[in-house]
Amino acid sequence: MSEKKIKNIFVNGPIEPDFIADSIAKHNSKTAIGGHSIFMGQVRKDEIEGKFVAAIAYTAYEDLALEKMHQIREEIFDKYPLNCMHIYHSLGTVKTGEICLFVFTSSAHRKPAMAACSEVVDRLKAELPIWGKEIFEDETHQWKENI
Amino acid sequence: MEIELISFGKIAEFINNQNIELDGIADTDAFKQYLENQFPALKSMKYKLALNKNIVQENTEITNSATIAIMPPFSGG
Repeated sequence: MSEKKIKNIFVNGPIEPDFIADSIAKHNSKTAIGGHSIFMGQVRKDEIEGKFVAAIAYTAYEDLALEKMHQIREEIFDKYPLNCMHIYHSLGTVKTGEICLFVFTSSAHRKPAMAACSEVVDRLKAELPIWGKEIFEDETHQWKENI
Repeated sequence: MEIELISFGKIAEFINNQNIELDGIADTDAFKQYLENQFPALKSMKYKLALNKNIVQENTEITNSATIAIMPPFSGG
């Protein structure tokens, strides 16, 4: 494990559009950057057996998730020439239409930012111990499973 | 020896976090057998263990005061 500080990625509740706008604005002074790539995950109103998803409640094994995210972050920085990378994931309840994941990568030219963003999202979904419980409009639930 | 058991996701709906006294269980393979005997619902589920915050990839020795997490398939993002 490197000496770099392990960053928190978790946000309670939805990730607000204002927070995302603010995060973009903070890059004004980083003039070496020529391309940003952003992925936002939004809670989808899936229909399952006639019932609609109203929200997803997220829980995580936080310590392990943050350690794993740190490791992924280091590997992505080693692989791509990035200027910066920011990752936020919701915990707790996020309603349909709200944002639950925000990944933001930046580089001098666009391609590393785009490839890194995509790879981070894939790895995060496969490797981080986070669980989403889909809560239906009638308050029953089922547990999501990433394929 | 005593271990701390923690569980997540749908597994947390039927296995509470608890401290358990284990005798004669030396490694994670034996522990899985123990768990599936105690909680038969696990037999038909996919799950992974984490021993002291390390995801168990191969059979690993368990020592006293270990923390073992039972984790169903991940569904973040």
